[in-house]
Amino acid sequence: MGITVTIRTNSTENTEPELKTVEPILKVENVWKLYHAGKVEVPALRGVNLDVLPGEAVAVMGPSGCGKSSLLYVIGGLAKASRGKVLVDGNDLVTMTDGERTKLRRSKIGFVFQRFNLLPALSAKGNIAIAQYIHGDGFDPHRFEVVTKMLGLEGRLSHRPAEMSGGEQQRVAIARAIINEPKILLADEPTGNLDTKNSEIVLEMLRRLNKDLGQTVVMITHNPEATTYFDRVVHMRDGVIVDGVPAD
Amino acid sequence: MMGQFVWRNLFHRPVRTLIGVLAIAVEVMLVITIVGLTSGMLQETAKRIEGIGADIMVQPNSSTMFIGFTGAPMPIKIADKIQELKYVASVSPALLQFNTSGGVETIWGIDPVSFRQVSNGFVLLEGRDMQGPDDMLIDDWQAKAKHVKLGDTYPIFNHDWKVVGIVEHGKAGRIFVPISTLGALVGAHDKATIFLVKCTRPDHTDDVMAEIKELLPTNKVQPVKEYMSLMTSTNIPALQTFIHAMIALAVSIGLLVIFLSMYTTVLERTRDIGVLKSLGASNGLIVRALLAETTLLCLLGIFAGMGLSYAVRAGFLKLFPTLSILITPEWMIKAGLIAIIGALVGASYPALQATRKDAVEALAYD
Repeated sequence: MGITVTIRTNSTENTEPELKTVEPILKVENVWKLYHAGKVEVPALRGVNLDVLPGEAVAVMGPSGCGKSSLLYVIGGLAKASRGKVLVDGNDLVTMTDGERTKLRRSKIGFVFQRFNLLPALSAKGNIAIAQYIHGDGFDPHRFEVVTKMLGLEGRLSHRPAEMSGGEQQRVAIARAIINEPKILLADEPTGNLDTKNSEIVLEMLRRLNKDLGQTVVMITHNPEATTYFDRVVHMRDGVIVDGVPAD
Repeated sequence: MMGQFVWRNLFHRPVRTLIGVLAIAVEVMLVITIVGLTSGMLQETAKRIEGIGADIMVQPNSSTMFIGFTGAPMPIKIADKIQELKYVASVSPALLQFNTSGGVETIWGIDPVSFRQVSNGFVLLEGRDMQGPDDMLIDDWQAKAKHVKLGDTYPIFNHDWKVVGIVEHGKAGRIFVPISTLGALVGAHDKATIFLVKCTRPDHTDDVMAEIKELLPTNKVQPVKEYMSLMTSTNIPALQTFIHAMIALAVSIGLLVIFLSMYTTVLERTRDIGVLKSLGASNGLIVRALLAETTLLCLLGIFAGMGLSYAVRAGFLKLFPTLSILITPEWMIKAGLIAIIGALVGASYPALQATRKDAVEALAYD
């Protein structure tokens, strides 16, 4: 079911406001994720429900082990939910095969990780370009230039990850994640390995991507200050969402 | 992009890549060298027989392709009977004796006069032809291998021979002594291992062969050209088995090294594989990337192996000048193909393992 949003027209006459229905870009319905440790079943997610609208920026917070990362991986199709529905742009990941989830991830989802996870053998340019290659459209120089310029990477493209600072590496990772214009950008504690200054830079980048380009962002964070960059903060505990309020 | 990815991955760990290349190079070199050695020895032997200039060989029925192992069961007087036949220009008996002391060599006991008639004589590089009972002729390769000079004493069969001439290689054997002296020494007085027959014209060969077969129905009579064509490894089953065994050994080495190399590569790159999966890379792409890396490594190894083969050959010839190692384009290609197939087989399991890695676990791998 979609969410009803009221949009007021600019008509000078006394007409009824026009109502439009906006479907969530991400819809998580009663999702469970169970891990098996020998004979013991460990529930990482216990009936999670979450809707994210297109262009929304949502922060997910919670203590360690509450299931934040599991939620992110299930949304991104890297892990399969044990029960429930995960609809990404209308596609239910739970019913898909591994190959189908991979295909969806290729075109609709971008990932940014805490540990950057750049390919060490490739330069910054190579790390970004390989995402385009995997996407199947080949190297798009115009899009490449736009993204790298926006993220301030022009002078660092020929450097390999070992030759870059943490902040630079994370910006390369963000560029890689958004180069194919994904529907959703999923960020797993992207500032976890950065100092305060670089954290602010990265968070500001994510905020600009959201506000200026309308990129939907779902980010996991431990950092309460990071929530100021987001529209909505969702709190998790013990595998469930306990509340989801708009950011201050 | 894939090419760049594969190339850079290969050189991200240069020592491991170098070891993989070396393993393939050794594998390729082993195949080329072993086949080259067997083919070369056979071909060189056949060429020396051809180099005599005879048209027909007459041997005992029990003889094999390895003339030196036949012994000396034929009476030397058979030569006179063959000489009387129509279209026979000349006949030369030869007594071949295998010597294993101080090396492995075949001694040719010849009658200098008749041998000269059949073969048009030796090309003397130094000294003179045999005249006395203890004279010895030795070819230039053998002289170089054994560091023998003109006038030296060369002991064989507990008898001191005097090196009176050094001849050009490529005719019959490498060491020549008078047949009468050799026969007396080895207990084969007036015996011969082989009769070499020269026809008045080469196109009389079949006629002469027919006559000899009628004269000596229990003997093996064959044209020299036929002997030449038989001197290949495919006609010697035991040699083929040996070659196949050595190829299998070489391939096993290459396969195991590549397997280990790619297995550790996949293990080391677990997180990278997780990253690729998070970017939406299919299993097929991951397998293709790993196999492409293996193929590239293999190609480098193949070229290195070809170069190494030539280097090994040069080294062998310097140490053992009488050896012949035949390196042919056919076997270079075969060795390359064997190496690639072995490497791809070795890399396929690690590549499949890579696709089976759980993406989340792979991303968390340290």
